[in-house]
Amino acid sequence: MSSPAVDLRASRPRLRLVDRIADPSERVLALLLLAPAALFLGLIVVYPIARLVYNSFFDLRMSGGQSAPFVAFENYALALTDKIFWNALWNTLLITIITVIGALLVGLGLALLANLPYRIRWPVRLALLLPWAMPLAFAGLIFAWFFNTDYGVINDWVTRLGFAPLQWLLQPGTAFAAVCIAIIWKSSSFIGLILLAGLQMIPRSLYEAAEVDGATRFQQFREVTLPLLVPSIVVALIFRTITALQTFDIPYTMTKGGPAHATETLAMLIHSTTIDYGDIGYGSTLAVLMFIVSMAVTAVYLRRLQRD
Amino acid sequence: MNGIDNFTLGAVMNKRSRFVIVVTAWLAVAALPLAHAETVLHVFAGGPQQRTDLTRKMFDEYEKRNPGVKVTLESGGATSELQRQYLSTVLGAKDSTLDVLILDIINPAQYYAAGWIEPLDQYLGVKDAKSYMSQYLPAYATADVIDGKIVALPDFADSMFLYYRKDLLDKYGVKPPTTWDELATVSQKIQQGEKNPNLQGLSFQGAPIEGAVCTFLLPYWSQGKDYQKGIQLDKPAAVKGLDMWLGMVDKGVAKKNIAEVKTGDTVNEFMAGDVVFAINWGFAWDLFQTDPHTKVKGEVGVAKLPAMRGGQSATCIGGWQWSVSAFSKNKAEAAKLVKFLSSPEVSKYLAVKGSLLPVYANVYSDNDVLKANPWYGLALPVVESAKSRPVTSRYAEVSDVVRTQTSAALARVNKPEATVDEIDSRLSRVMR
Repeated sequence: MSSPAVDLRASRPRLRLVDRIADPSERVLALLLLAPAALFLGLIVVYPIARLVYNSFFDLRMSGGQSAPFVAFENYALALTDKIFWNALWNTLLITIITVIGALLVGLGLALLANLPYRIRWPVRLALLLPWAMPLAFAGLIFAWFFNTDYGVINDWVTRLGFAPLQWLLQPGTAFAAVCIAIIWKSSSFIGLILLAGLQMIPRSLYEAAEVDGATRFQQFREVTLPLLVPSIVVALIFRTITALQTFDIPYTMTKGGPAHATETLAMLIHSTTIDYGDIGYGSTLAVLMFIVSMAVTAVYLRRLQRD
Repeated sequence: MNGIDNFTLGAVMNKRSRFVIVVTAWLAVAALPLAHAETVLHVFAGGPQQRTDLTRKMFDEYEKRNPGVKVTLESGGATSELQRQYLSTVLGAKDSTLDVLILDIINPAQYYAAGWIEPLDQYLGVKDAKSYMSQYLPAYATADVIDGKIVALPDFADSMFLYYRKDLLDKYGVKPPTTWDELATVSQKIQQGEKNPNLQGLSFQGAPIEGAVCTFLLPYWSQGKDYQKGIQLDKPAAVKGLDMWLGMVDKGVAKKNIAEVKTGDTVNEFMAGDVVFAINWGFAWDLFQTDPHTKVKGEVGVAKLPAMRGGQSATCIGGWQWSVSAFSKNKAEAAKLVKFLSSPEVSKYLAVKGSLLPVYANVYSDNDVLKANPWYGLALPVVESAKSRPVTSRYAEVSDVVRTQTSAALARVNKPEATVDEIDSRLSRVMR
């Protein structure tokens, strides 16, 4: 039966491709199986990014008629000399640093609380889940009302305590603080969840051994809990940092970036440039710059991770 | 009931009759568009401030007069900025679902430059755009005619007025002020006399919304200055304008957090009786009289805006326009609807039912209109002389810079001088 097949192949070389697909070698098989995934990746990830970089070299406007002249690095020069860009970059980095550290501390506290051996744990765990499940924009709107000068609950407390009400969202410092508080409230439960999972992986026997050795509660925490929690903390930090760099919803709904540009992040600047001004070219440039910043920060984390 | 019946029916039927029923059903579906051969026009009609409730009634009327045309209304976007965001997403994607759009007066220039709205001349059979537009108030011949083409027709006019509490002014024997200084003095007198710490003398728009662009321009225009393409910003005059507003806060006439106040806040606080003088648009009159929460019904007076000392009263022209999407598949039908919506008949209806200012001068003196809005005799000269915000295809940027900076100055984040420098340097590229 096998010899006619060989003959067929020799006499009709056109069938070879079909034959190879039907009975491929290992290498070809690998390529064939990878091709669809590669194609999807190309379409969904590579093409948009490449197109973004391409657009950043043109003066492309949604409202500017048809022609979009090639301007080389003019958009980049414009961005790097624009103090609004640097201000947004600075705000983004500052928000990232403050809220990542803040959320880590609060999240750790929440995780420890949820891990306590109470019989009824679900109320704590539910409380842990709620802020995380709430859409970002809702959280922003809720906190905008909290900090409202005339009707806000915060100013209500402030005046009950005998102080003069503050214009929270109208002064750069307090507005920035208010935005950070809202982000920490929103994101610490996510960190709390990851850390809670980490805590539950730590074997109870270690604590029992520590107790036998006469370690205090605090010593147990420092010598047992913290070191074993480090991998979870690193994972939480990476996720949280990357999303913090993309901060948009909460400051957008709370302050719209104001007063002036005091709470404007890079993502918000990109949004207003592309959606409000229709300036696709310049907006793409800003997005490329933000992409570079995100890559740089992620690279730092990854190197840390590899070293560990 | 129906679902159960069909189920038992299906169970007892044989295969062939089921096949026949399925085929018939599909034929019926296919024949549906033939049976109801009607044009459906999909209209984006704005938010509550554009009174979509009244617009719907006008659509019903149009459907009655034009059998075979169905008009569907889509509403959304409480503010001009939100509507602009929504429309630029839809039109930027060349989406053809919307046939007719409502546009704020500041937008036709940009939308036409972007190729998003269709010139109406050929559909209206117009040869000379200028003479056709002369039937409307003068501002609309500027705002809706771009490059000699009619790109939109006005729906209703609007401009900013000074609303005041007649009862309080009478009580203290004062007349409506004609200058801002006078307004401050009168307010202080009333505020001191009333001994109500919650009573604001003046409420205006200081939040970074579209209205803040007018807040910036009102005292500037009042000094005889203008700000249009090719005209440089007169910095000292602009600084003087911002100083005037800040002075209102310093004197306790306007509240400290004025940089948070939006158009609706002014309306609500005036309506609650907490404000002596309010700067707001024409549509607010109807709310002060008919809103279920109003406490100032029958006690509201309207005057033209005060002037800077030695200057002229000046106000911002507003209003909404109907235009036809360039991506519509029913442009001729859409243009017909736009023409109806911009007719004197509709203009009168909107004035009587919603106190929306007419776009035709002669509708102001109509008896029914005057009965509903006794102050319209005063409104006409104001609207006729009201000024336009900068007309440019990049208005979105102009507006964003001006309102953000103005609001920051009112929050005392930046000094007026620094604010004006910033506005000038950011806009000199766009405005020249």
